[in-house]
Amino acid sequence: MAKRGVAMRGRTLVGVVLAAFVLVALSIVWRRTIGIGESERLAQLDSRRVDLEGERARLEGEIRDASARQTLGATAERRLGMHIPSDKQVVILPRPTR
Amino acid sequence: MKAPTRVAVIHAFFVLFAIALVARAAKVQVVEGKQWVARGKRQHFFASALSAPRGQILDASGNTLVESREMTRVALALPEVRDTAFVIKALRRARLDAAAVHAAIDRRRRWIDLPGLYSASDVASISKLNGVHLTPVLQRVYGNSDGIKRIVGSLDIRGNPLDGLELALDSILRGDSGRVSLARDNNGRALDSPDGWTEQPKTGSTVMLTINNTLQAICERELSIAVDNLKADGGDIVVMNPHTGEILALASNRVGRTTFGNTAVTEPFEPGSTLKPFVAASLLEHKRARPSDIVSTHNGKLELDGRVITDMHKAAQLSLADVIRFSSNVGIVEFGQRLTPRQKYETFRDLGFGMALGVPLPAEATGTLREPKQWSRQTAASILMGYEIAVTPLQLVTAYAAIANGGELLEPHLVKEVRSVNGTVLYRAEPRAVRRVMSGEVARTIQQMLLAVVQEGTATKADLATFEVAGKSGTARRTSQNAGYTAGNYTASFVGLFPGNDPQYVVLVKLDRPKGAHYAGGDIAAPVTQIVLRAALAARDAALDREGLAASEKSVLAESAVGPSGKAASTSAPRLARGVRGDATNPLDRAAYDPSDNMTRREIPEETAPYIVDLPASPRAAAAPRAALTPRPIPDVRRLSVREAVRTLHSAGFRVRVVTSASSATFPAAGTMAAPGSLVQLTRPLE
Repeated sequence: MAKRGVAMRGRTLVGVVLAAFVLVALSIVWRRTIGIGESERLAQLDSRRVDLEGERARLEGEIRDASARQTLGATAERRLGMHIPSDKQVVILPRPTR
Repeated sequence: MKAPTRVAVIHAFFVLFAIALVARAAKVQVVEGKQWVARGKRQHFFASALSAPRGQILDASGNTLVESREMTRVALALPEVRDTAFVIKALRRARLDAAAVHAAIDRRRRWIDLPGLYSASDVASISKLNGVHLTPVLQRVYGNSDGIKRIVGSLDIRGNPLDGLELALDSILRGDSGRVSLARDNNGRALDSPDGWTEQPKTGSTVMLTINNTLQAICERELSIAVDNLKADGGDIVVMNPHTGEILALASNRVGRTTFGNTAVTEPFEPGSTLKPFVAASLLEHKRARPSDIVSTHNGKLELDGRVITDMHKAAQLSLADVIRFSSNVGIVEFGQRLTPRQKYETFRDLGFGMALGVPLPAEATGTLREPKQWSRQTAASILMGYEIAVTPLQLVTAYAAIANGGELLEPHLVKEVRSVNGTVLYRAEPRAVRRVMSGEVARTIQQMLLAVVQEGTATKADLATFEVAGKSGTARRTSQNAGYTAGNYTASFVGLFPGNDPQYVVLVKLDRPKGAHYAGGDIAAPVTQIVLRAALAARDAALDREGLAASEKSVLAESAVGPSGKAASTSAPRLARGVRGDATNPLDRAAYDPSDNMTRREIPEETAPYIVDLPASPRAAAAPRAALTPRPIPDVRRLSVREAVRTLHSAGFRVRVVTSASSATFPAAGTMAAPGSLVQLTRPLE
C-alpha cells in the first residue's frame, strides 16, 4: 500500500512537471506568435508612416508649385489683368523711429 | 562471474546512449555553442541597408528648393498573378501605366518593372494583390524653376549626383546610410524582430543657399521674355549683394541648346565697355588721371597699331568722367596709355579675372586673362575696351560689387548656411574680403561716374523714377567660328548698382546675339535691368532693405504739382526729368527694348489718371467716380499719432513718407491743394 502511494506521488510529480513544461512551452510559443504579429503590425504602421510622409512632401511640393511666383504671377496677369507696378507706384513707408 | 542478463545489457546500452546524447549536447551547447548560435542567427536574421535621405536645399528665406521623398516602384511577377485581368483593372484604377503592363503581359515576361515612381496613395489599393511587388525608393524632388535646377544640379537614377550643388556638396547632402537586422519568417519574408538591431541612417545636412527665390523667379521670367522678344541666343542675369558677396539670383537661358550647368558661371564672354570703369579706377588709383582730365578723342576715330578705333558718341575731346559716361573707346585708349601693361594686367587680375572664384559649382570657368608677355601689339589697347579678355558674368558682378562696397573684392557666396538634421549650424558664410582693389574714395568717384552713365549717358533706359541707378552698359562684338569678329554679332550687357547712391544690388544683364536693329547694351540690357528692379521693388521679399531704400529714394515732391493730366509739370526739376526719361512708358524705351512692341502688354498705362483707393479699401470705394481725383487740400494731421496721420493722409488720397524731424508737420503744409497720389512728407519728432 505504502509502495503504491510512493509510485503515485512519483507519477503525479512527473505529470505535473510535464504539464508545467507544456504550459511554459505553450506560453513561449504564444508570446512569440503575439510578438511576430505585433512586429508585422509595427512594420505596416512604419511603412504607412513613411508613405504618408512621402504623400505630405508631395502635397507640400504641389502647394509650393501652385503658390510660386511663376504660377501665380502668370495667372494674375492673364485672369485678373494685374501687372507689375512701376517704381513710382510703390510707396515705401519707413518705420517711424521711437 | 554471473553472465549479464539481457535486461542488464539493454540497460547498459541505454545508459551509454544517454551518456552519448549528453556528451553530444554538451559539445553542441558548451564547446560549439557560439558557432551554432551564430549560424542560427545567420539563418534567421539578415542585415538590410537603410538608405539615408539626402539633405534639403533651401533658399535664403528658408523655402524648400529641393527635398527627398519616398516614392514607390511597382513590379509585377506574372507567374504569381492569379487573375491578370483583375490586376490590370486595379493598376488602371491606381492610375499606373496600364499600357506598359498590357504590352509586357503580351510578351509573357516573368517580371515587369513598371516605368516611373508612384506615390503611396496611388498604389495603396494594389499593395495587397498577389504578384504585385512594391519597393520604396527615395526620390529627389526639385521645384519647377529651371534656373534653380541649373544651380542645384541633379541625380542619376541610382541617386548619384551628376552636376551642380548636388555634386559639389555631395558629402554634405548625402548623409550616412544605416542598417537594420530583420528576421525571416517561414516564407522567407522579412520581419522586424525584437532580437534584431538597427543602425539608424543619418539624414544629410540641410544646405541653405543665398539665392532669393522671388528674385530668382523675377530674373528668370524677365530674361526669358527678353530673350524671346529680342530673338537672342540666350542670356544671363546675376544679382549680388555687394556688401556680403551673397549671390541673390543666378538666371541663365540658352535657346536651342541643352545646357545643364549655370552658364553665368561656366561661360566666359568678352565684356566690352563694362570693363572701362575698372580702367578709370586704375588710373585714379595710380594717380595717372583725375575725373576732370581731358584727352583728345579725335572726333571718335583713332588709328592705332594698324587698326581704327571708333566711337558711337563722336567728340573732339572728353574728360575721364565723360569717357565713361559716353563709353568712348578712343578716350579710354588714350587714357589707358598712361598705364603700363603690367598695371593693366594687375588691375584685372586683382579684380579676380582669369581665376576661379571658388563658388561650389562644378565646371566654374576661370575666364581668360593673359600675362603681358603673351600680349600681341594690339592687346594693350584691346583690353582697355574689354576685348582679348574673357570673364564670366559672376566674375564681372563680383568686380562691380567692389565699386559698390567701397573698394573691397568680396568672395562670392552661394551657400549661406549648412545645418545638421538636428539644427546645429555646421557652417555659416561670413563676408570675406579677398583684397582691397581700390580705395574708398576711388570707388565713390567711379560710382558717381556710373550714376552719370544712367542719368545722362549711354544707359538712361535703366533709370527709375524714384531711385538712382548707377551702371555701365557694354556692347561687345562676338567672334564667329573661323571668321573672327563679324558684323551683327554682339553681346549686349549692362551692370547696374541699385540704388545708385547706396547699392543693395549689383545686377548684370547679358544678352547673347540679339537680333534686330537694337543690339546695344544700353538699349536692350538696361531696360531689362529696369524691369527686374521694378519687379523686385514690388515684391514682398526680394532681399531688399526697405528702410535703407526709403532713405535712398529720390525726391519726387515736385510731382505733387503735376496734375493727373501731367500738364502742369513746367516746374519739374532736371532730376525729375531724368526719372521720367528712364520710364518704360516712354515710347522710345519700348521701341528700343522691343521693336515689335511685344513688351507693351506688360507695361502700365501710366498716362491714365491714377486711381486712388480709400483705405481700408472697400468695394464701394472701387466704384468711386473719377471726380474724386481733383486736387484737394492736405489735411492737418499735426495732433494725430503717426498711425492715424498716415491713415488720414492715405484716406485723403495721398502717398506718405514719414521722416523724423524736430517738429511735427507735413510738406507741403496742411491746407495746400495737391493732386491725389502726390507724395506728402510727414515729419514727426523722435518719440
